[in-house]
Parts: sequence; C-alpha cells; structure tokens
Amino acid sequence: MKAVGLVVLAAFLVAFPSLASDPFVLSVGVVIASYAVLATGWNFVGGFTGYISLGHAAYSGLGGYATGLLILRAGLNPWVALVVGALVVAVLAVPVGIAALRVRGASFVIVSIAVVLVLLLVFQSWGSVTGGSDGLRVPRPFDADVLRPEQHQRFFHLHAVLLGVMLLCWWVIDRSRFGMGLKAIREDEDKARSLGVPTVRYKLAAFVVSAFFTALGGGLYALWFGFLDPIFQFSILVGSNMVLMSLLGGVRSLFGPLVGAVVVGYATEFSKAQYGDTQLHLVAMGVLLAVVVLFLPDGIIPALRGLVARLRPGQASIREVTQEELVRR
Amino acid sequence: MTGLRVEGLTKSYGGVRAVDDATVTFQHGRINALIGPNGSGKTTFFNCVTGMVKPDAGTVTYHGRDITGRPAHKIAHAGIGRSFQLCRVFPRLTAVENLLAAVRPGSVLRALAPARRKSDVDRAMALLTRVGIEHLAEVEARDLSYGQQKLLELAGVLMAEPDTILLDEPAGGVNPALVERIGELVRSLNAEGRTFLIVEHNMDVVMSLSDHVVVFDRGRPIASGPPDAVRADPLVLAAYLGG
Repeated sequence: MKAVGLVVLAAFLVAFPSLASDPFVLSVGVVIASYAVLATGWNFVGGFTGYISLGHAAYSGLGGYATGLLILRAGLNPWVALVVGALVVAVLAVPVGIAALRVRGASFVIVSIAVVLVLLLVFQSWGSVTGGSDGLRVPRPFDADVLRPEQHQRFFHLHAVLLGVMLLCWWVIDRSRFGMGLKAIREDEDKARSLGVPTVRYKLAAFVVSAFFTALGGGLYALWFGFLDPIFQFSILVGSNMVLMSLLGGVRSLFGPLVGAVVVGYATEFSKAQYGDTQLHLVAMGVLLAVVVLFLPDGIIPALRGLVARLRPGQASIREVTQEELVRR
Repeated sequence: MTGLRVEGLTKSYGGVRAVDDATVTFQHGRINALIGPNGSGKTTFFNCVTGMVKPDAGTVTYHGRDITGRPAHKIAHAGIGRSFQLCRVFPRLTAVENLLAAVRPGSVLRALAPARRKSDVDRAMALLTRVGIEHLAEVEARDLSYGQQKLLELAGVLMAEPDTILLDEPAGGVNPALVERIGELVRSLNAEGRTFLIVEHNMDVVMSLSDHVVVFDRGRPIASGPPDAVRADPLVLAAYLGG
C-alpha cells in the first residue's frame, strides 16, 4: 500500500512536466514544488520538536542570497554555490539556534520573527554587497539556449529530487533514537530531560538540519527565479506559509508538509491567476489557517488516516472482545 | 560514600525561600520517604537534586560525585531517575515509545539507528509487563487511564536504568488497589538494590513502605529517622500531623 503510493507519487513527479498543458502550469508546478521543499525543511524542527518558527524565511532567504553571492562575487559554479551556500547557512544557524532555542513557546516564535526582520534590514541596507532594495540578479545556471519551458522542467525535477532526499532524511530521523528523543522534547521537554535526553544538543541538531535544507530550497528557488529582493526573501509571509502548509497536511506525518504545500500552493496560485493582484489569496489563507486550527488540529493526513481506520473491519465502535482480552484487562 | 548527600541546599522564588539551607543524607539501598506540609519545599528539593532548577546555594553529591547544578540529562545519566507530581508522560507517543525515548544512543551514529531495535523493544516490553500494562504497548499515552499513566511513568523512569529513583506522590489520585500495586513494585525494585526517595502525603503508604523518613517544614528537614520514631516526634506532630 505504502510502496504503491510512493511509486505513483514518483511517477507523477517524473511525468508532470510532460503532462502540464503549458509553461504557466509548469511554472506553477515549480512554485508548488518549492513550497513543498521549504515546508518539509521547516518540518525538521517544527514537526519533530514542536518549536514553531515563523521566521524560517531567514534560512531560505539566506540560502538564496548565499547562492547568488557565491556565484557573482566568488565566481563559483552555480551548483557548488548552492551546496556551499547551504552549508554556510547551516553554520550560521548554530549561534542563532543556541540563542533562540533557549526560550520556548510564544517567546521562541517572537525570536524567530526577529531574526527575519534583522536580516531584512541588513540585506536592504548593505547595498554594496547584497544589491540592497534594488535586488540581486542571479545568473541562470543553464546555457542561454535552454528555453523557459525546458528550464521549468529541469527545475521541477531538481526540486523533486531535493524533496526526495529530504523526505528520506526525515523518514530516517522519524524512526531513529534521535527522532524519538526529539518527539519526547515536543511532547514534554522537562520530562525528556529527566529521562536523560540531551535536549539542548538534540534541538540544535534538528534546527541546523532544518536550516540547511531550507537554505537548499531557497538557493534552488533563487537559481530558478533569477532575482532576489530582500522584501520577498526575508518576509514573515514566506515563513507563515511554511507553517500553514505543514500544519494543514500534518506536522507529524512524513508527507504532511507536501500535501499542505500542494493544497495551499494550488489555492494561492489559482486565486492569483483568477483575481490578479488583489490580496484575496491572503484572506483565503487566513481563513484556511483558522479552519485547520479549529477542525483539523492534527492536519489532513491524520484525519484521513483516522477516517480510513474507522471504515476498516474490526474498528467499529461496537467491538467484539475475546474472553482472553477481557481477563487481561 | 554511597548515596545522595545534600548540603546547605537553598532555592528562593522571589522572596520565598522554598528550600532553605537543607542538609540531609539518603543512604543507598533504602526506601526513604520525604514528608511535610504542602509548600514545605519537597518538590523544589526534588527539582534541585535532579537538575530541573539550579539551586542558589549548597551542594548535591551522589556517590561522592558533585552533581550540583549539572544539566538534568547528565544527572539522569549519573543514575538518578524521577517521576513528576500529577504524573507526566509523552501524551502522543505510544506506551512503548514512551519507554524507548529513555534509551541512551551512546554515539552520534547510533542515534540514527532505529528506535525500535529489538533488544530495546524487548527491554521496554519486559518493563511494561512488570508494571502490568504490556497489553497497552501500542496505545497512545493520552488514551490511557490516570492509573495506567502512573504505571507507564514508572516504567519509563526504569527504562533509563537509574539506581536512585525519586517519586513525587506515587499514590496521589489512584485507587487503593493500584496504591498497593505500586507499593509492591517499589518494594521489589528496592530488593534488587534500587534506592527510593518518595514524597508522599498518604501516611499509610509512608509508614508501611519506608525504612527512613525525613520531615520537611519551611524548606528544611526538621526531623528524620525510622517511621515509628518520626511519627512520635513532637516537632513533627506540631508541624505536620496536626498533633
């Protein structure tokens, strides 16, 4: 069942570009794939530890700028720049994580937002290096004879591969001892400490891994889109989107952020295409967030799983209990 | 020297000295009870010993090693386990996962090994069997009854292999049959060489279970000794038993 689902998903990801009716649909596909990468990156810290970072745009934005600047200022090959850039961001995430993870709950949310706002100001003001408010043009990684639709197709597949690697990592952590420790932190941090879980180290490790993947996502997006503006790169909205998508799909499910990204990404792009430059998609997102929190607190995937389980034989509300089971109670 | 030694331990919250210059020794191998009125500093004392809060002054030594103010997980590794007042489990983890969370990976590489390694699962199942809830192994902790959660918490503490166990009101809020069962568990674990430090208000439990009683009042011990002697101590009667 699970294997079949994975094969279908992989087949769809491979085939989507040839199924897409026109370059616009294809470009929407890339946008949604990028959302999925960012949300899944966020979920390494959000889903496992329960620390809700509203400021993860800091790491996607830094990843984008690091990639662009390494190409422009250091003359690196774009793909090398992408990986080196993400590693730089991971290193930067260590002191940020040490400071931010000292506080929990709402305080952590505020700190995470503060980081993005600081970065926004820095990248806007430090024009000589970052291009400032005028933005930064990132050179295309492919030759000029690779046309737009072909570009979209390649980037769609690059995003899909990155997403695949991230999902694999998430899966490995999810079933590992490290992952069990992280989930213990999410459920009750003090209790976890008392049982011997090195909470500070574990949280920091998850945070750095999350920043690394989110930066890769940001860098890949920068290479595709070709232009970075601080106001969009270091935006609370981008970070909130990652949170909304993950919550919608289910933060404790491997594919939760992906499902959320498809739903939110499709809805956003649809309303942008239909209603143009109105901010209606923001209203729709707000409503969606409220609905999720009120009616699907665990997300779509656990809700669906619960529904399927209810329909299965032997899971009905009237249960047959064997005598042995009764005695054991 | 073996056992837990606390000297001059002090912890204030605002103007309140929750623990005030407390000096007390718990010898290894005993079942010690810690009694005293509400607000006498028993739980704060626990929190200082287990590293959940940093004491303002004083030292805690365990088997001769200074563990004062060390991080909680290091103190757990040193062999001190604890339960919490009102019981704390990981609500959205299953019973067996609640135990697996207490497994120490050892190295970075082994931290990425599957949590459900057979030897660990077997050990967890053995502990769940010991406390009598093995049939609930795959049930999420939040779906267990309060009593079952108490048993699960105890099993989780044991999973970390402590040789000294601090229990904060193990008999609080559970039915008499379960109180009896928890008492038996404590006795058999003690027979295997584990030391206990139990905060408890249920005097029957304290008197029947413990070898040694320490009475707290206003943040410090005012009396200690065998249960019968403490029960007769006039200071204790005045402070706690209401005379």
